[in-house]
Amino acid sequence: MEAVPPGWDPGQEEPFESSLIRPYSLTGGRTRPSRSDFSVTSQVVAVPSVSQERMDPEVELILSLCARPVSMAEVASRSGLPLGVVRILLADLLDQGYVTVRTSDWERRRPDAGTLRSVLERIRQL
Amino acid sequence: MMGAEGAGPVPDTLKIVIAGGFGAGKTTLVSAVSEVESLHTEEVMTSESVGVDDLDGVEGKATTTVALDFGRITLDGSTVVYLFGTPGQRRFSFMWEELADGALGAVVLADTRRLTDSFDVIDFFESRGVPFVVAVNCFDGQRTHRADDVRVALDVEERVPLLLCDARDRESVKEVLTELVALVLRLELSGA
Ligand SMILES: Nc1nc2c(ncn2[C@@H]2O[C@H](COP(=O)(O)OP(=O)(O)OP(=O)(O)O)[C@@H](O)[C@H]2O)c(=O)[nH]1
Ligand SMILES: [Mg+2]
Repeated sequence: MEAVPPGWDPGQEEPFESSLIRPYSLTGGRTRPSRSDFSVTSQVVAVPSVSQERMDPEVELILSLCARPVSMAEVASRSGLPLGVVRILLADLLDQGYVTVRTSDWERRRPDAGTLRSVLERIRQL
Repeated sequence: MMGAEGAGPVPDTLKIVIAGGFGAGKTTLVSAVSEVESLHTEEVMTSESVGVDDLDGVEGKATTTVALDFGRITLDGSTVVYLFGTPGQRRFSFMWEELADGALGAVVLADTRRLTDSFDVIDFFESRGVPFVVAVNCFDGQRTHRADDVRVALDVEERVPLLLCDARDRESVKEVLTELVALVLRLELSGA
């Protein structure tokens, strides 16, 4: 669950080059995703039993983190990779059929009154 | 909705943004209600904001990294609320854009010792039409600040809920979130 790639210490202030350039080398230097399907709360799930090519260890780590539905932000947090890098790698994985993604309709449209009332009630009961 | 076979249902998600200046208590507030230890990630301001397509020679181009912490509250198996803390300084506004997009609403966490830190982010949410409440984190223990005085100092309109809170206290934070969702409900019912 709490897997973090070796050598990565999120608590440690690293010089810019090593903390940023290394993860962005995973994207081949790209800073934009191939598609814009991923918001921070988008739920990502790995597609089971797709034949495994050899992948970067970070990409395998990302896939293993999505065995169950998990938000893009949680994938970033658990992998220790910057959000922007995870967004690009997940977009590639989606293109290649390794993951599916679902972004809640509530990102586009406010929940209806009934839903809001039940959210309110549940927060009160926490 | 079911996800990939065997992976379990994919929940619907709600996003709430917690914005406040340095040390305003964002991480504390998120941890007070999150069911997981507050999570942490980083975003880098690069391409979108400065128009770079790749990171060759990035040293001179990328500018700011921003630490984001967030928490999760599962309301039931099918609804999950995410709380995202974001710094309230204007140079981090690229992050406000991303987080405000599709958000249910926002909490502006104001620090009684540095009230003016909240001006920029209040303007931002107002201009984007993101519903927000102002929660005043009372660091000096006693609730010596009157909500009305803070409202005047921050120049916050009457229709924006403003309440005093203690970011360390779960019940207090629940009250803040309840206030926000109640505001969104009122907006929905009034057709706004
Ligand atoms: N007395 C008091 N202390 C608080 C309160 N909320 C937070 N603190 C303390 O204030 C300090 C800063 O709180 P954080 O939650 O780290 O603030 P933050 O907004 O996340 O800070 P940055 O991420 O550095 O911008 C911590 O030492 C907290 O324990 C409060 O309501 N009252
Ligand atoms: Mg913090």
